[in-house]
Amino acid sequence: MSSTPAKEKLRDRSHWLLAILLLLQLLAMSITARRPDGGQSVVGNWVMTIFAPIAKVGDAALSKVTGSITGWSEMRRAASENVSLREQVEQLTVELNEKREKAAQFDTLRTQLGIPAATAYQRIAANVISRDTSLWFKRLTIDRGALDGVKKNMPIVTATGIVGRVINVGANFAQVQLITDSSAGVGVMIQSSRLAGELKGMNNTRCEIKYIPANEEVGEGEMVVTTGLDRIYPKGLVVGVTEKVENDPAAPWKRIAVKPTAQVERVENVFVLLIEAKDITVETNIKQ
Amino acid sequence: MQKVKTVIVIVIFLLLQMILPKHLGIFRYIELPLLGTIFFSLMRSPLQGMWTGLAAGLGKDIISGADVYGVNGFSKTLIGYCIGRASLNFPLENPLARLGIVALASFADTIMVVGFNIVLQQPIPLGAWYDFGRVVGFKVIGDTLAAVLLFIVLNRIFPDQKESGRMTVKKRYYA
Repeated sequence: MSSTPAKEKLRDRSHWLLAILLLLQLLAMSITARRPDGGQSVVGNWVMTIFAPIAKVGDAALSKVTGSITGWSEMRRAASENVSLREQVEQLTVELNEKREKAAQFDTLRTQLGIPAATAYQRIAANVISRDTSLWFKRLTIDRGALDGVKKNMPIVTATGIVGRVINVGANFAQVQLITDSSAGVGVMIQSSRLAGELKGMNNTRCEIKYIPANEEVGEGEMVVTTGLDRIYPKGLVVGVTEKVENDPAAPWKRIAVKPTAQVERVENVFVLLIEAKDITVETNIKQ
Repeated sequence: MQKVKTVIVIVIFLLLQMILPKHLGIFRYIELPLLGTIFFSLMRSPLQGMWTGLAAGLGKDIISGADVYGVNGFSKTLIGYCIGRASLNFPLENPLARLGIVALASFADTIMVVGFNIVLQQPIPLGAWYDFGRVVGFKVIGDTLAAVLLFIVLNRIFPDQKESGRMTVKKRYYA
């Protein structure tokens, strides 16, 4: 089991090889760090293009297993939940009818005043195939990519609110940065007062609004919506609800914790809004 | 054939790293590509450890959608090489020693990944020191416990690795 001279020679030179490999990676780090919006490398794209369908199949299989286990335990709670849900449906039906009536009145007025109708964005449904592959970033991977018309920076939403934006796109996958990621930023405002600020992720299940002056009044439980100022998320999308409001002792603005209305951490199905920066209209009725 | 099997194992680990954390929260604290790197480094040459670490690390950078490429690649290449070197010079065949190495490597990997992100001015959420310590601690424990099971499975898939380990011991003491 003795080593050949060629192998011995290679082993002797291994520290040089190590140094070269480490230097190359340092170089890659410095290049990619200087271009944070540079997108994924060609090699990375190919790897993910191959991995994504395999992960999708694996995820579907595992979902069936975990789904049947959780489904069994949830069956036990279903009866009591059913009663409260019926009450909720009745309540929501009343509210829906009221809103429909208001919408009809609003449409009539808008037609009379010549105000253009709100844009309806084209969207496609996508499944989440991967999430939390790193401890330090809040990212997920969806099973839609460039072949479906997905492009970088397109918003990802659910019926209840925004989830994040596309940061990398391959042919059959897209990687999404969640709004709870610490490097994510969204232009938002308090819906009732139109006070605008910037929403930053806190890398847990919450976000924080910055740059709303300390002397302004903001309450807990207020709805937060997008302004469109970031040129990524169109105006008027629901983001979340204010949860905790306090003045920042180190800065002249408030610290407002926001609970996203979308289940960002557990979302399984999402919509990609097929909208680009040039199509985004900005909210003009804001207070800064 | 051995190299093909190694590549397949690393690819499977990367795929599992993509799939499992979504369904089982504990896998957020278990880094399968790192454990694969450690396994192959412990039993083989520094070169083997280095290449395995490079592939596993760059693969991790790709699947996690990281903004900076090479951070995981750098740390795992270095860890693979160092463990490979250490396994030639120190008795690391003992299961307890192996687990010690896993814990140390997991700690070193986290520190390097976080350190590089800070140096490169990437917004990495450290929180308070005790929060960071808690995350590092959970990851060390998660990786070490997972290694106990994983190394048993891998030893069955790579029975010749054990033989290679024995030869290393012989070489170390009798050569």
